[in-house]
Amino acid sequence: MTTHHDRAANPLREGLSNRPMPQPCTVVIFGASGDLTYRKLIPALYNIASDGDLPAALSVVGFARREKTDDSFRNELEEATRKFSRQGINEELWGSFRERIFYHKSEFGDLEGYERLAQRLNALDSARNTRGNRLFYLSVAPSEFGGILEKLAAVGLNNPAEGSWTRVIVEKPFGTDLPSAQTLNSVVNHVFREEDTYRIDHYLGKETAQNIMVLRFANAIFEPLWNHRYIDHVQITAAEPLGVEARGPYYESSGALRDMVQNHLLQLLCLVAMEPPTDLTADSVRDEKVKVVRALRPMKPEDVAHNVVRGQYTNGAVNGREVTSYRAEDRVSPESMTETYVALRLHVDNWRWADVPFYVRVGKRLPKGGTEIAIHFKAAPGVLFNRDSAVGPNVLVIRIQPDEGISLRIQAKRPGASVKIEPVKMDFHYGTSFGKASPEAYERLLLDAMSGDATLFARSDEVECAWRFIDLIEQAWHAHPSPPPLCQYPAGSWGPAEADALLERDGRAWRRM
Amino acid sequence: MGSSLDTQALGFPVELSQLGREIKKLWERESQTSTRASLINFAVFCRGPEAMQASTDLLMEFTRHHACRAILIGAEPDSSQDQIRAWINAHCHLSRAGAKQVCCEQVSFYFEGRTGNRIANVLYANLDSDLPLYLWWQGDFPAPIDVQLWAWVDRLIFDSQSWAQPRQQFSLIREALSSGHSRLVLCDLNWTRSLHLRQAIAQMFDCPENLTLLASLNTVTISHAPGFHSTALLLVGWLAAQLKLELHDSRPDNSQFTAPGGRPVRFVLKQESGRSISRCELHSDTGSLLCQRDTAGDFFRMEIRHQHGDVHHHLLPSGSNAAAPLLLEEIAGGGPHRVYLRALAIAEPFF
Ligand SMILES: NC(=O)c1ccc[n+]([C@@H]2O[C@H](COP(=O)([O-])OP(=O)(O)OC[C@H]3O[C@@H](n4cnc5c(N)ncnc54)[C@H](OP(=O)(O)O)[C@@H]3O)[C@@H](O)[C@H]2O)c1
Repeated sequence: MTTHHDRAANPLREGLSNRPMPQPCTVVIFGASGDLTYRKLIPALYNIASDGDLPAALSVVGFARREKTDDSFRNELEEATRKFSRQGINEELWGSFRERIFYHKSEFGDLEGYERLAQRLNALDSARNTRGNRLFYLSVAPSEFGGILEKLAAVGLNNPAEGSWTRVIVEKPFGTDLPSAQTLNSVVNHVFREEDTYRIDHYLGKETAQNIMVLRFANAIFEPLWNHRYIDHVQITAAEPLGVEARGPYYESSGALRDMVQNHLLQLLCLVAMEPPTDLTADSVRDEKVKVVRALRPMKPEDVAHNVVRGQYTNGAVNGREVTSYRAEDRVSPESMTETYVALRLHVDNWRWADVPFYVRVGKRLPKGGTEIAIHFKAAPGVLFNRDSAVGPNVLVIRIQPDEGISLRIQAKRPGASVKIEPVKMDFHYGTSFGKASPEAYERLLLDAMSGDATLFARSDEVECAWRFIDLIEQAWHAHPSPPPLCQYPAGSWGPAEADALLERDGRAWRRM
Repeated sequence: MGSSLDTQALGFPVELSQLGREIKKLWERESQTSTRASLINFAVFCRGPEAMQASTDLLMEFTRHHACRAILIGAEPDSSQDQIRAWINAHCHLSRAGAKQVCCEQVSFYFEGRTGNRIANVLYANLDSDLPLYLWWQGDFPAPIDVQLWAWVDRLIFDSQSWAQPRQQFSLIREALSSGHSRLVLCDLNWTRSLHLRQAIAQMFDCPENLTLLASLNTVTISHAPGFHSTALLLVGWLAAQLKLELHDSRPDNSQFTAPGGRPVRFVLKQESGRSISRCELHSDTGSLLCQRDTAGDFFRMEIRHQHGDVHHHLLPSGSNAAAPLLLEEIAGGGPHRVYLRALAIAEPFF
């Protein structure tokens, strides 16, 4: 791999950093006047520079259609970075960073604009020593992917010069169902090789998501218990107090299942359920993850009715503030059947996870925000202490956000002459133990893409397998003559009663967050 | 000398024998509103009242970023009294996540008169169990080394820049290491001090075009502030070791090495006012690299020049020379410092 090759070639690198070393390159952002560029991408690049990890030779070219000069673009980005950078802005560093940013005005559909882009990139390569390495970031709606990629190929920008590389980062959503994902994959892979394609799932860039593998495979005490013999069930929750805000039209065409479960939550499930990879290369890790998605038990329409609850919020209150129903949100149909909540009971059909349900729930307008994974262990045999009253099981919770950390619930004796057992919580908070703020997910992901490490990006087969699974549910909801109902829940509650019943049927309950 | 110990900042005094119990009480009082956090035992050894005060200030800063049990050990061997005094205190700050106070305890001891031989014993009795022990020894090591004290240390932190006789000090360390304490990792803050500089220089050679410059290197000039000669020497050692240069002719501040193909490489050290290392130039037959600390001191201005006319500039963070950030950098880095030991082996004869 180039990363290792380059590191070995530089004798002064030894012992200095175990971080991936980004290579000199030009990052070309399509959709550079968009929200994501201003809020996330440029602040992330600036923070990487501030940590001293940006290659000396790096340029950023923003591609969008509005009239702007390099200078006006830089000024706007400065304002945005001031607002969104996690470590503020240092005038001097920004002064040097802004000189690396350029604006290229063109319509996505205008071939001539790409020809000019190619010339400009060549000129930048010689002026800035970026060696013909290019990272194309498609920060645009998926409907634009095909057109942009086709034009990139038409002017040969997808083909790296001898000794250089070209890569493409694509944003979510990657498809809306299996056929569209397959089409997108074939469009992308027609122009870029799979190993040069980086599909963003920003959950994977989060520190705690990366810590799941460390927790499981660097601690000898967990892995022996990490199976159906000791684990009763797993709960994965992503709760949000926010509504759809300004994203009504997008959300209407997506819904909670496609927006969150197909990508983020299934990725978390994979990290929890996967077998240890043989090594930490991108493909070894992703091979194991894809096996999990393949092992998800497919659902027939009757299984969907039994194992999946979809809900939509009605009027209610969040944080003491009254909020309207989903159907009354801006640019949302008053008869909308889009789910803002979904709870699923999933099974991973392999030896390790036989008969261990994975309960996954995600929702908007819930009482509080947070993403976590809770591993509920089986209760200790009831022969000694828990003969009369049930002793609660051990629960290991991995908090992904906010307040990232890990906690373990164990049983302890309450002081006194009688044997009274009480659960106690051992808690580890990242923020408390490590004072240093974690880098933002986009920082890590951009660094990795510049360094050629695709471990934290989704591979085509992973994405397609996930859609294959999700499509069965979508079909049961939208293409079946008698679809399961869309349940309602008041905003500010923990979701529809039917979701509670889903677990109650199994003698279990959702974890209180 | 002469100033007395200001005990206010050290917290409240406790009986040595009651220390464990008092710490427990401290946390019972604080536990309503705060969370206790600890990842390491961080012991700091210093001499005299002023150093106690300065170290307490530093620990307060340090614990904001790295949760630990801080153990401050002060010594005043010239005191007429033989006594050991102890205090406990908590350093609290608001956590990143918001509402909760995060607290780390500081246990302080002051060894007066002839009680210095009991440091190891007191330290071991007051470690937070199961956590690694990092010992930061300020100033010179006493001869002979207290082997018992070092036996349980995981990382020994020192600053060779502060030593008047570095060769003697390093030979003491070597002696202690040879007595079989393999777990001990040496952490020289004088090496950490040049971390950002080494990173900045290394980064310029991540670009393969620039590597030709290393392959035909002929002169390295390093400008250092008064008192930072040893920092510059470690840098010489680093470049020489990593580029596999052999020492040919050693003269103070102007030494000659030989590269693997027989090419001579000269290292020149210059003393200039400024902060630690202010400038480092690498000249070769094909171009040059200039790394210069900017006047405010926050960045290195890098300039790479190729013979064929290309010039590239870059700005990279230069880090801080203050004790707390250096310590944090050192602790975050971890590792066995093999590169340091190699650099030291080359630099030591020049000390
Ligand atoms: N924003 C987020 O936080 C976020 C989070 C996760 C994923 N994403 C994904 O990231 C992508 C970009 O999101 P965004 O929020 O930045 O979108 P956005 O604010 O709508 O920006 C879209 C960008 O594309 C440009 N554009 C659209 N059509 C064009 C055309 N024909 N020719 C040239 N430029 C054109 C727009 O330029 P004009 O300004 O001239 O219209 C704008 O720069 C989307 O796929 C989104 O799903 C976004």
